[in-house]
Amino acid sequence: MSIYLPIAELSVNIFLLLSLGGVVGFLSGMFGLGGGFLMTPLLIFIGIPTNVAVATSANQIVASSISGTLGHWRQGLVDFKMGGVLLIGAFFGSILGVWIFSKLVAIGQIDTVISILYFTLLTGIGLSMLIESSKVIRDRIRRKSVKRKIHYHNWAHRLPFKVRFYKSKLYISIIPPIIIGFVIGILSATMGIGGAFILIPAMIYFLGMPTSKVIGTSLFQIIFITAIVTILHATTTFALDAVLAFFLVLSSVIGAQVGVLAANKLRGEEIRALLAIIVLGVATKIALDLLVEPNEIFNLSVIRLVF
Amino acid sequence: MIKQLIILFYILIGTLTPSISIALVIGSDQEEIYIDANFSGEELLVFGAFYSDPSQSRDSKSDILIEVVGPLEDVALRKKDSYFGFWLNSKSVTFRDVPGFYYLSSTSELTNEFLANNQIGLLEKKKSEMIDWSSLTTDWGGVVNEKEKEEFYSALIRTKQNDSLYKQVSDEIEIIDGNLFRSYIDIPNTVPVGEYNVNLHLIIDNEVSQEYSYNFMVTRVGIEEAIYSFSKNYPFLYGLISLIIAIIIGWSGAEIFKRFRKV
Repeated sequence: MSIYLPIAELSVNIFLLLSLGGVVGFLSGMFGLGGGFLMTPLLIFIGIPTNVAVATSANQIVASSISGTLGHWRQGLVDFKMGGVLLIGAFFGSILGVWIFSKLVAIGQIDTVISILYFTLLTGIGLSMLIESSKVIRDRIRRKSVKRKIHYHNWAHRLPFKVRFYKSKLYISIIPPIIIGFVIGILSATMGIGGAFILIPAMIYFLGMPTSKVIGTSLFQIIFITAIVTILHATTTFALDAVLAFFLVLSSVIGAQVGVLAANKLRGEEIRALLAIIVLGVATKIALDLLVEPNEIFNLSVIRLVF
Repeated sequence: MIKQLIILFYILIGTLTPSISIALVIGSDQEEIYIDANFSGEELLVFGAFYSDPSQSRDSKSDILIEVVGPLEDVALRKKDSYFGFWLNSKSVTFRDVPGFYYLSSTSELTNEFLANNQIGLLEKKKSEMIDWSSLTTDWGGVVNEKEKEEFYSALIRTKQNDSLYKQVSDEIEIIDGNLFRSYIDIPNTVPVGEYNVNLHLIIDNEVSQEYSYNFMVTRVGIEEAIYSFSKNYPFLYGLISLIIAIIIGWSGAEIFKRFRKV
């Protein structure tokens, strides 16, 4: 059974879509990630045009981050003030990102740029997860516990425009969070991701936020950034496919909840190692597509219909 | 069913034009192809008869040619080149007013001279290409030499063929009882919407004896049309609604499963 996607202008198997959404949702629920970094490349693999994949993936992340934020909010683990400051940067970043995106579409380089960005990103995430999880597994075997610093003091604390963030127990300049938000905004708009895996370490290491507040705050921020990106894509690149989004949202929300349940039954490091391998697998596929000589070195795209 | 219809045509033609012995009688099963949520391509049936007199039968000198030309579009054709081991898009050529769909079918293989002489379709005069390049407006960008231009021309045809959008065949017309013909034309799910032209030619002794043309439309209907035009006319609202749906599903999904976990 297939469904015709009105914006992508092709028909896809409905079960393929649902299982794709379900699997990505499952993984995102399990690891507490938005899953955009897997969703976008997988959509491209099944033949969805790159621009539609990016725009629609952003829409899907809105749904999964809402589910995630609710849980953290109830436990009081969301720093709304910090989220708001990050968003100021993210708002301008995403406008720039969508602008870059449509320029790349116009000169025909969007596919290449997306591939390279994704390859870099996925390799980075995959390797760091693999190293980190194997280290934890090794330490567990040796029965060592790892001590971490609670607070980092660095250049971010010496800049002007300092503001007190009570929830995070921080007194820092608003410039670093705005810059971080700006960068995440660009990445979100061009890649169709929430950017949690960049945002979370940046919040811990650059801003010195307490780890407990980081996930909830980043999820809260991601809802808005991906919502902005969704609207920007709908109005400027016209690439948002609401039918595709509906099926992905539905299946990924269910998948995510199942993933959360499964995560409670499994040990963190093993699943992280597993995800790392999946991520590296996707990165390898992208790399091969870039490096192996394609069967057809020409590609055609319709610019406009003539009436 | 088809045969009955054709016989009906015979009777009509017979009564109207009793003196003509050779007639191209044709019909089609639809005047419109609708793209709805279940659309996954369609088969267009074209049928007819060689002669208005049903007792006559087709000889080896008579042929049928069916040509289907889709709506025109502008396309960008990009070539990948290797840079430091990476295959990246490099040169780009824009072709204007090329058909989004092109189908040429005949009962026997037709020579290119014949097609060129009769100015049928988009066939190039020299080779077995399907486009008459001289009629194309092309934006060559960085492509300057003739050899490379040829390469782009054939790549245009090839990529369209790979997407099942261009096709030239001589074995898809079925002949029944020596006089009737029938052909199922594959309309893939990637076809552009718009007006399609079907041109039929009855060829006798390498001469076009009869011609008949008609149009059909490929249109989006129902929810597909509603969503498509809504997204173009009210992009902000469209994005917003898609967002709200995501928010509702995301929120309720979390609530529903929370209850599950408590139980």
